[in-house]
Amino acid sequence: MALSIKGARVRPDGLRRSREDDAVGRRRWATPIWNAVAVAFAVVMFFPIYWMIITPIKTGKDLLSVDPTFWPTGFSTASFKTVFTDPNFLPDMRNVAIITVGAVVMGLAVGFLGAVAVARFRFTGRNFFIAAMLVVQMVPLLSLVIPMFFILKNIGLYDQGFGVILAYLVFTIPYVVWTLRSFIVNIPRELDEAALVDGCTRWGAFMRVILPLTVPGLITTGVFCWIQAWNEFVIANILLSSNDQQTAMVWLTGFSSTPTHGADYGSQMAGALMVSLPVIILFVIFQRRVASGLTAGAVKG
Amino acid sequence: MSVIESDRVPDAADEPKAPKAARRGVRIRGNYVPYVLIAPAVVVLVGVLAYPLVDLFVLAFQNVNDYLHLSAPSLVKFIGFDGFTKVLSSAEFWQSTERTVLFTLEVVTASIVLALLFGLLLQRVSNWAKVTVVTALMFVWAIPQIVTGTVFRWLFANTGGVVDYLLYQVTGNKGWRTHDWFADSNQGLYVVVALAVLWGALPFLVIGINAAMTQVPKELVEASKLDGANGWQTFRNVVLPVIKPFLVLCTALSFIWDFQVFGQIWALRQNAPEEGYRVLGIYLYQQGLGSSHYSTSAVISILMILLMLAVLIFYIRQVIKIGEQD
Repeated sequence: MALSIKGARVRPDGLRRSREDDAVGRRRWATPIWNAVAVAFAVVMFFPIYWMIITPIKTGKDLLSVDPTFWPTGFSTASFKTVFTDPNFLPDMRNVAIITVGAVVMGLAVGFLGAVAVARFRFTGRNFFIAAMLVVQMVPLLSLVIPMFFILKNIGLYDQGFGVILAYLVFTIPYVVWTLRSFIVNIPRELDEAALVDGCTRWGAFMRVILPLTVPGLITTGVFCWIQAWNEFVIANILLSSNDQQTAMVWLTGFSSTPTHGADYGSQMAGALMVSLPVIILFVIFQRRVASGLTAGAVKG
Repeated sequence: MSVIESDRVPDAADEPKAPKAARRGVRIRGNYVPYVLIAPAVVVLVGVLAYPLVDLFVLAFQNVNDYLHLSAPSLVKFIGFDGFTKVLSSAEFWQSTERTVLFTLEVVTASIVLALLFGLLLQRVSNWAKVTVVTALMFVWAIPQIVTGTVFRWLFANTGGVVDYLLYQVTGNKGWRTHDWFADSNQGLYVVVALAVLWGALPFLVIGINAAMTQVPKELVEASKLDGANGWQTFRNVVLPVIKPFLVLCTALSFIWDFQVFGQIWALRQNAPEEGYRVLGIYLYQQGLGSSHYSTSAVISILMILLMLAVLIFYIRQVIKIGEQD
């Protein structure tokens, strides 16, 4: 990339681009028009989120009017109060936090080992393992929930957070193996070898070379697993039945379909905002890493 | 979401062929090591994936179709293909399949076309505009499906819904002001649910396709311009071949997401989707956990997997080839 841009700058005069066009022959005068289209697109895409943030702070009068107001005329915290006084809200937020942390930690630990194996060793069955990790990600989760429900019922883990953590490993492990594999492959093998030559044991080389260098990869992968586990609904909805075991997503669907809150969009939006906040915050903190993690995967495709 | 980084072409640095023998020196001891390393992953995946899959097939050939059979195992017996015959001859199943196929076709096409258009757009805008769009998209990306469904139900509400209000303002037609989008399930499913799913899918697709487009060598684009190609020709012959592998991945992913759509419908219809919203996912859920027809639900699950496999088989073949080259 950098090279090609430099190349364009030192081009012989005869090929230099004309003033009106940029490097790729696009008309410069059109840029403001495209910018306007892009901003309009961003506004349309962001609007639902704006609406989710603005609705719960509206007063009852604004909420009930047939014509919506795009800017609140007053400020009210009543909707948030409704959410926080719901007896199941905080326990369910705690449940989803525990389940998510469990699924991410276990997924990363197990997946990381698998990723080291495929990135650093050649062994019989390696290709099969790699292909399996990809195909597994295509199995529709929905089709597995009925047998999972039966199995967890039989082993006594039905309606328990731990059962859901185990179920979430279905999607975290293959994802971690596949993504971390490419991070580890990019760590030069010479570094492990140098460590071995300098007297490290295999384990020492792993702990001092591979592990520290994979930390950025672990963070990116961990963020993606976190999002998937936190946002997951189908499995949690089926494998957890009692109100005090459910996750925040299950709570939100239950809350918004009760007769009391079914038409109370203020509290529904307050609830929606609260349950997505942990993921949004995570995204803001790791934004750069998440964006580059995504594009890294996309670019090489 | 889950296959985000899947379609990597093997890196050049990945397993260099020539000095392999020399490097083997370090690794030749302990052939068991890789197996120890993958063992936990294999054990867990057999437990949470392979075993349930086997169980799913067993269940599909049994008669566990009410709560009694669940609690009294002695009543359970194998009924062969009776379950399949029953499902395949029910009109409900075929209607759900038709809905799912139409919905998937609609949303996948819209996703890919829009993602290509906005991906191209992002190449033409100033840097600040691109940052604005990407930031907005990142927020959208973080939003859970259930929240998307809840928010879209509010956006499309018939009292105080902002979409009705805007349509009323634009057209001046009072009928729009309290239009109920969900009364007609065709409108609800193919407009509202489709928009909700599309909204959630666009961030990954647009950012990804744009990133893939930045990999197109500028020299090639310039050369094609010098040779007199117009915009479409350049796109068709220069840009498209470069981004094609990623485009295939995007199509496969969108297909996987849209074919098993569930969360958005569930939240949009407040936990009780009407018949017109019954896509395969909803149908198998309602059969299985709604009315305790566990075996019927297992049959629907298997048919759903087979339908998806039939479409994805070409993609899976490619993926396995990548695994082998690697």
